[in-house]
Amino acid sequence: MLLEQVEYVRPQSLDEALEILANDDGAAPLAGGQSLTNVLKNRVASVDVLVDISALGDLAGITRTADGGLSIGACVTYDELDRSAEVRQSHWMLGEVAAHIEDQQIRNKGTIGGNCCLSDPTNNLPPILVALDAVMELRSRSGRRSVEAADFFKGYFATALEPGELLVSITVPQMPERSGAGYASLAVGADAKAMVRAAARVTLDRDHATIVDSRVVLARVAHVPTRDAEAEARLNGADATDDAVRAACAGVADGMQPITDVHGSSEYRRQMAKVMARRAVDQAIAAARGGRNGSSAGGN
Amino acid sequence: MTITSAPVTGEATKTWSGRSMPRKEDGRLVQGQGAFVDDGGMHGQGYAWFVRSPYAHARIVSIDCGPALAMEGVYAVLTGEEAKAMCEAPFFAIAPPPGSLMQEWPLAVGKVRYQGDAVAVVLADTRETARDAAERVVVDYEPLPAVTDGVAAAEPTTPLLYDEAGTNVAWHGVYDYGDVDWALENADHVVKLDRLHFHRFTSSPLECNGAVVNFNRGTGVVDVLSNYQMPMFAAMVVGPTIGVPMNKFNFVTKDIGGAFGIKIGFYPQIAALALLSKKAGRPAKWTEFRTEHMLSAGHGNERTFLDIEVPVMSDGTILGLKARAFDDAGAYLHYEPLGAVIWSQVVPGCYKLKHVRVDYTEVVTNKCPVVPNRGYSRMQHLWLVERIVDVVAHELGLDAVEVRKRNYVQPEDYPYETPNGCIYDSGDLPRSLDLALELAHVDEWRARQRELGTGSGRRIGIGIGSTLDSGTNNFGQSRIINPELPFSGNGEAAFAKLDLFGEINVNLGTTPQGQGHETTAAQVAADILGVTPEDVTVSTGFNQANNSYVGFSGTYASQFAVSGLGAVMGAAQKLRHQIVKLAAFALQAEEEEIELEGGTARVRGDEERAIPFIGLANMVYTNNAGLPASLLSECDLNARYVYVPPFEVPDTVAKTGNLTLTYASQVHVCVIEVDEETGEVKVLEYAAVDDCGKRINPLVVEGQVHGATGLGIAASLYESLDYDESGQLQEPSFYEYHVGTAMDIPDVACGDIESPSPFTPNGAKGMGEGGGAPLHAVCAALQDALGGGGAVVSESHNHWARVYELVHREPGAPRGVEVITRSGGLANDAASL
Repeated sequence: MLLEQVEYVRPQSLDEALEILANDDGAAPLAGGQSLTNVLKNRVASVDVLVDISALGDLAGITRTADGGLSIGACVTYDELDRSAEVRQSHWMLGEVAAHIEDQQIRNKGTIGGNCCLSDPTNNLPPILVALDAVMELRSRSGRRSVEAADFFKGYFATALEPGELLVSITVPQMPERSGAGYASLAVGADAKAMVRAAARVTLDRDHATIVDSRVVLARVAHVPTRDAEAEARLNGADATDDAVRAACAGVADGMQPITDVHGSSEYRRQMAKVMARRAVDQAIAAARGGRNGSSAGGN
Repeated sequence: MTITSAPVTGEATKTWSGRSMPRKEDGRLVQGQGAFVDDGGMHGQGYAWFVRSPYAHARIVSIDCGPALAMEGVYAVLTGEEAKAMCEAPFFAIAPPPGSLMQEWPLAVGKVRYQGDAVAVVLADTRETARDAAERVVVDYEPLPAVTDGVAAAEPTTPLLYDEAGTNVAWHGVYDYGDVDWALENADHVVKLDRLHFHRFTSSPLECNGAVVNFNRGTGVVDVLSNYQMPMFAAMVVGPTIGVPMNKFNFVTKDIGGAFGIKIGFYPQIAALALLSKKAGRPAKWTEFRTEHMLSAGHGNERTFLDIEVPVMSDGTILGLKARAFDDAGAYLHYEPLGAVIWSQVVPGCYKLKHVRVDYTEVVTNKCPVVPNRGYSRMQHLWLVERIVDVVAHELGLDAVEVRKRNYVQPEDYPYETPNGCIYDSGDLPRSLDLALELAHVDEWRARQRELGTGSGRRIGIGIGSTLDSGTNNFGQSRIINPELPFSGNGEAAFAKLDLFGEINVNLGTTPQGQGHETTAAQVAADILGVTPEDVTVSTGFNQANNSYVGFSGTYASQFAVSGLGAVMGAAQKLRHQIVKLAAFALQAEEEEIELEGGTARVRGDEERAIPFIGLANMVYTNNAGLPASLLSECDLNARYVYVPPFEVPDTVAKTGNLTLTYASQVHVCVIEVDEETGEVKVLEYAAVDDCGKRINPLVVEGQVHGATGLGIAASLYESLDYDESGQLQEPSFYEYHVGTAMDIPDVACGDIESPSPFTPNGAKGMGEGGGAPLHAVCAALQDALGGGGAVVSESHNHWARVYELVHREPGAPRGVEVITRSGGLANDAASL
């Protein structure tokens, strides 16, 4: 791997891990290693101690919460998300997004916690978690706190985590009845990084005709997953029709400044953000109507 | 991807040659038992890490190796100036002046000329230490303006990469065949295109470059264990520079994880490692990092075509073409400017173009040097020709299939002499196209395309790519670049040996990188020696100590089936002759009566009179007392043969001659769907028809077709290497550079036609590179999707944002194409479309 010199520890308990993280500002948690080791290999960041949390039982597993939501351990892998019957039953799209992250080898190792904590704007899971109103459960030696996903991502490789703090699990609340999620990405190739993506959740009225609540989250348009409050406001109360959705999404990303790179200009990306948002919302509506919490076509 | 295959044409055969059989080497390769360069090592070796420039163009003010040398475990640091002082000459230049004044040394001297240029190399006890130490080599740079545009580079006002050359033009020449001015004056239509641009990309071998080099100061012998694919070229270039004669080099290759021509480019690294080893007194091992590979291992040729004019008759006959070409060689002339002549192996493409003038300029820029890349230099020109044919059809409202068929070289025309004297050996392009159209279900897709109409947000496009894979070079073509060069012809060597216990060994000078040489060489030898391919051991890779090499040895330029197997056939036949002679003596029979079967020599028709190979080997190796001297002198059971293709030296003034021996053809048909809202392109159906003459192993051929197809599709849609104005590579890793994978590449329906070559020992033609057919087919499909009057596809790389722009072109915006129509041979009003 050609890493710089780095120390490696494998704590036996969550408390021990938190203790190490609290005592050493150069310590960084290592879960699946699918992002962090790349960062280290490219020498973009340097770490003194790798704290291997991958085998900690407290960070593993997916459980159903009392109110019907999910509690997902930070070290749950993409593959586990994909194959979890619990996830597929209540939050189908979350499993579907995980199923399309890179390739199988990476999905076997990469974790939901790592995907979130790196806060790389191209990462797949943050926007869908924001759209699903997920809550990040953080622990440190001195206590615990909860941060909404929408407030967790702070910038390029920056999150709300304080020094010594560790993401231990993610709570995804049960979706209201007649809800669905959607997710649309534009990428250069099948397993390439997304240029622009959008995640959405909608809740329909009893007749499946009107949108009563919505989330529209853009990713890779700004540095962090961003809810488009105006688009949501236009959708809420609107007819669940193609035209209404198109109209509601027409202003998406206006005024935002996505990056320009070899894959496309800022202007192109802004235009694509509208298309991805509309497609994600359309998917979410179809899923809500289908009655299977997010189970329409789509994915990566 | 799922693969379907059309029925194999040609009769069933009792021989091993011609049979699809799994590759002998695959068992070890898929079980992690291959021997790749990084698996090898030498006693006492250190690990090397190159210090590379972050600037595209800068003066090296100073280099301080002190902090690196102070680190524990660091054996040595070698800088460019030091390396130069250890050298006898700069690397041999292929170009005449001014290109020959653009000197290159093992490491940068005085200046860096691209981002990634190596200024020093560190040797240390571990890879990690070497990398850490390289970061502590302090280089003070004075940045200079970067030259990144291959056309602007030729302007006299552009900053110079090499002050001593006085120009950025490395080579310039005009290729002028027929009378293009006459054709342009007399054609019914002249189609003009302002600019076509073929982009930079690479083939991304799974295994990057690597070498373990030991300069033995006692013996003067330099051992080079590497994955270099053309070892004797490296020896010829590196030897005179570092002062090592050929008989003191020992180049060895083993398994190679893909090369594609890219692994012809790293001889400077081999030279630098040899000098580093000499300085440190221990072997130097270097395994290239992926980002290092992307920055500095070499890219494919980028070429811009300007002022293209095409004379066309009203029946769709294309008379020729005229264009200016600017090839961007990057910062150093690695193997270049050979690309400036290699394209002319296929001057008219698949067509009977009679009048061609290309004004060709090769420039240096502050970008990674270009090196041969699958389809080397022909692909760029074939893309030009295919774009021309396609645009002519679209602009004149002609059918793209019919225009191709009308202009193709016809089956009865072979052997067909091109305007520059190349001889197309055989083929059946119209039938190849028909088969490809059928395999891609084009009739059904045309119907779907009509049904879809407009307004659905989706468009279907159908495109054709017709190409040639010219194989077995006549190196005499290098003299068209520089008449002083002492090169012509080609060849390959092989040894066939009957070993002590009657085993058969074959070794040859090739460097297989996935082409299955161990299998096909065994098939060929087995037929001649009366054994099975399992009985034939073919040595892995190249080993100078085997003596089975000539100056051209290696694996490149689609030639193994001809030159490699030609050598194996010759060596096996010589060995057979010896075996027969020995058997005739042992069995008291006439040589004509001896037949070889199942590892035994027997007298035809007499089961009792037979001797197994082990018995014959025993007679020669370990039991030779009393054998006639004449027999012993003729039969040492070690047969070396050099295959030499029949070539003449080209006419360097007229720039004519037979530049390659064989011309395999590929006709690809691609059906795409374009998402108008995003510009995304999805390949709906893909067919590839390959005609490479007699196939030794159709399964291996099909594997090569899949590989070339995958690379081409990925290059057309995903892969591009771009530099910003300051000369920074924008895709230095797989994070930005999306290599096409099995997840991207569609199913490929393969079809085969066998038009045996009359010029080769076995009727085979070299194949494997392909002619970039997927790039041509995808561009043509896009053009079809854009429809009449739409934008012109003028770039070989069309990522989503570019397709989006093409689809949403502003009405009235310049299209970069113009058709001038005349009637009765007199100029009419220009009908600008």
